[in-house]
Amino acid sequence: MEIDGNTLLIIIIVLFLFFSTPGGDGVSSQYEFNQLETFKRQLSAEYESFERMNYNSGFRNITGFKLSLNDVIDDPQRNATYPIPSKDYEHWFQNQDYLILPEDVTSRIKNEVWSLDMDDLDENIFPPNITSSLLGRIQLVSNNKYPSIPMPIPRFYEGPTEFSDVTPPVGESYPEEWPVNSELHNVTFDTGQLTIHLTHVDKVASKLGSERKNFFNSQTDRWKFLNLRISLSDKSEHEKHLLHTNAIYDVRKGRILAMSESAKFHSRFAFPHYMNLQDGSDSDDKEMFESLKKAIEEYWKMSNFVKTLTMGDLQDWYDESVLKCEYMVFLQLSPWNQYTRDQIKMIDDELNWPLGRPANLSHLPPVTISKGILYSPDCGVELAFQDAKGERYELKIRSIRTHLLFGIGLFIAQIYLLLCQMHHTNTPSSVNKISVYCFSMINLVDGSLATIYFFAGNFLPELYLPLVTSAFACFILASVFETRYLISVYASQLNERNIGISTLLRGGHTNNEEGGTGTGTTVIPDESSISGSLYARFFFMLVTFTVLALSAMSWPRKLRMIFEYSVIIVLNSYWLPQIFRNAIKGTLPRRNRLRDQRANEAMGVRRQNKMPLLWKFVLGTTLIRTLPVVYVFTYSSNVFRHHRNVRFVVVLCLWLLFQIAMLYSQDILGSRWFLPRMSIPEGYSYHKAMPAQDLLEHGSTAKYTIDCAICMSEVPVRVEEVLETHNVDEQTYMVTPCDHIFHTHCLENWMSYKLQCPVCRSPLPPL
Amino acid sequence: MSMETPAGLYKYPVTKLCMIGTTLVTLIASIANFKYIFIVKYDPFISEYHQYFRLLIFQLGCVNETDMALLVLLWYQFRNLERLMGSLKYISVISLILVYTTTCVAGLNGLVNRILPWKIWNSLTTGCLPVMLALFHFYKEYTPQVYEFEVLLTQPWSQKNHRKQYKWVLNDQFLVNALISILLLNQGVEGMICGFISWICGVFLDKGLLPGMDRWRLPLVEHFLLSKDTNNNQGFYENSGGETSEELLIRRGDREESPGTGDGALPLDDENANDEPARPLGVQFLETFRT
Repeated sequence: MEIDGNTLLIIIIVLFLFFSTPGGDGVSSQYEFNQLETFKRQLSAEYESFERMNYNSGFRNITGFKLSLNDVIDDPQRNATYPIPSKDYEHWFQNQDYLILPEDVTSRIKNEVWSLDMDDLDENIFPPNITSSLLGRIQLVSNNKYPSIPMPIPRFYEGPTEFSDVTPPVGESYPEEWPVNSELHNVTFDTGQLTIHLTHVDKVASKLGSERKNFFNSQTDRWKFLNLRISLSDKSEHEKHLLHTNAIYDVRKGRILAMSESAKFHSRFAFPHYMNLQDGSDSDDKEMFESLKKAIEEYWKMSNFVKTLTMGDLQDWYDESVLKCEYMVFLQLSPWNQYTRDQIKMIDDELNWPLGRPANLSHLPPVTISKGILYSPDCGVELAFQDAKGERYELKIRSIRTHLLFGIGLFIAQIYLLLCQMHHTNTPSSVNKISVYCFSMINLVDGSLATIYFFAGNFLPELYLPLVTSAFACFILASVFETRYLISVYASQLNERNIGISTLLRGGHTNNEEGGTGTGTTVIPDESSISGSLYARFFFMLVTFTVLALSAMSWPRKLRMIFEYSVIIVLNSYWLPQIFRNAIKGTLPRRNRLRDQRANEAMGVRRQNKMPLLWKFVLGTTLIRTLPVVYVFTYSSNVFRHHRNVRFVVVLCLWLLFQIAMLYSQDILGSRWFLPRMSIPEGYSYHKAMPAQDLLEHGSTAKYTIDCAICMSEVPVRVEEVLETHNVDEQTYMVTPCDHIFHTHCLENWMSYKLQCPVCRSPLPPL
Repeated sequence: MSMETPAGLYKYPVTKLCMIGTTLVTLIASIANFKYIFIVKYDPFISEYHQYFRLLIFQLGCVNETDMALLVLLWYQFRNLERLMGSLKYISVISLILVYTTTCVAGLNGLVNRILPWKIWNSLTTGCLPVMLALFHFYKEYTPQVYEFEVLLTQPWSQKNHRKQYKWVLNDQFLVNALISILLLNQGVEGMICGFISWICGVFLDKGLLPGMDRWRLPLVEHFLLSKDTNNNQGFYENSGGETSEELLIRRGDREESPGTGDGALPLDDENANDEPARPLGVQFLETFRT
């Protein structure tokens, strides 16, 4: 391409579009700038109010906490404004007058959830690092008993209504129009599944877009900052709730308080008061309040919270506030009392930086949340659960690594088996008997696995090395060995394209009388031109299937299961095409083959009459491909968290056994034993007598012999009309469909290289 | 003895095994994330955790990939030793050295840390550096220097008559020397200490102070490692024992000069034996790229 002025201009414009995306805080207009400024002003004002707050004073103008529950009960029409004339801001008690929680929820939290005996802090030991994913079952306690607290969304979050807008609207909007029973703002199932992903926030970046992160917490022995991703769903996964919450973990007492945060609920400022829900002594509570307040102030200052806000944050907060209920989550961790503090430190060190310390990680108890209550103040929903458990994240990674290593072993075994199989079928005639579809299926699975491994390597930096090694092994298997094998199979079968099955059964070529296409003109494309199209097809199938499989993971459960089961069954029918192929090519029963082989050896002829697939390959491949499926479906605590379904595995194994049994029966009884004898037409026979007419055309000598074009010596031919030639053995020469005559030995040698007539290049039916 | 060794690793089963083993163990340990088992530090692993198995296996794998690369290069350079001793004796000597160096290094380390109150020698090396250093003695002792060359260095900007000329004499073994010194420096003080101890081990073994050099042969090696080569085995000499290495060298020299054994190890040119062998599928695949 010549680069002239216009092309250059286009390139520059494209580059400009690429690099001119709003950087930094993401502001791209005057309106957004004003929005962000208002947002920052609001948060700064609330932070000042938070700084003035102490153990004995309540929330003032903090969004989401302006009204207490009793304010709403007394006057349901009351707006969340500050200050409310009759409200007492100077005191703080843990009751409905001040809290946004109903009285009995508060008492349940105090008596059931956070009820561990805390008299002696040294009695219970809690793990300081609890990064993990917990699983559990959750029950709905009530979704209509408690009044919901109105939480207005400030209107400056809304987008501009026209282009000329510069200042965002003022005021607040109350989301009155929410339908009461919508799934978005209510929980309608009675019991469901719960997943909690806990991650620690130990470091924050103090500049926008800066990679460098700093520690901020000076009281790490006491408070830990967490991020909790909680997802709730019913069993059929029709109703899903995903909550992103900030959490504080009280390391000494094993309590976790998590609260969602959005435009209508600035929960960060409420941690000190709500962490204190307990019946303890006043002085302790006061000390705890101050300590937690200090931790939050440290976080706020180190992260430059207001300065690092972006338009993205603003939009996220707005979306969360419109689409979701706010939740307050109270959790109690089970203590690890079987360990001393030193042991727990050693376990943590070993998990972070393995050196082989005697930490006995295989017996590490799971991180367990013994009790938890989820309460949504603005939707009035209460949920409760018990005993959500999960392995430590680092242990999980370890076990995934072990599985990946095992997988690499399977890939290597598969590569070895494939090489044996390739060695077994090393001539075009024997490759011709292999089914393309059989290997296409195997190839598709391997290729998709390679792609998935490769992408997963980018998302799991801890497992990058084993994942990339797996992807590499898998990719070598799929795109180097299997695809090359497929290409040679495809190339050897090219002259069968566009031919009906009945013709194929006969021997895989068109006769002059029925096809009429003429011989000698067909040009077989060589493998290099085939490989291009085959590789293109391979990659297209690969991408399509991978994208489909990945998107299927997020489908609702029922649809997903139907998809999964059918795909597994279809992709595990890989021997089926080979059975059909065998039937088409028609190998003899094993006994006849052995007899033929002995006869041929006596004649010194190499014959291609073995079964195309090695038994080692068939059994090994089946085993390698079924093992992972069996593991995933029968081992209930597998790493993929797949559900258990033994019946399906049994069905799958029976199906595979059936296929193998069919292959075996074809080996023993001949590959066409299940077809009625009538339906099998006669195959092409290379060994036949010639009419004298044809022989003359080929320039035969007077003794009815013809020069073999390969060895240039004479071939005696049996001629139908001439009796004295009838003592010639038909097995010693071969007549091609294009009527060329060669020695059996010569042509069979040639046919192990190419299925083309050496004289006229027309395709030859394989032996 | 011919001056040039054949290129590649043809008929060097032990060298091949050592090179592949060094690479694979490190690679697998890295993928499976258990490299740390090759780290030996007296405190805490031995004194506190009593993980004595680390003392036994610390030579098997490397923690650092640079060490691994250096070791593989050195194994390749030391293939002359395999040619000199024969595969069976070479692997037997390696196994002896492995035992002696491990015992000496680990034992001395334990002794020093037990007796002396301050910690001067806490950690051991990783990778088979001790074996290398002991073999280095054998290499220096039995491999003749073939050539040497001079590197002349002059100061470019001074006047001609004042010009000082530095001469730097290097010989064909300078690559091995350089590799050994990088290997030692790369592991720091521990590398020096362990390297010195194991070099002494090598000297003692060669001089007969440490027994076993002539008598000890690894059992079953012939069966597993060398069985393929024994059918055409003119390049593979077995020293029946009772001779020192010098005698062996002389005897080898005699045998080399006798006619008929010179190039017997090279593969027969069997192109004409069967003019059209059935081509393996791999060859057919390659053919497709040719057009």
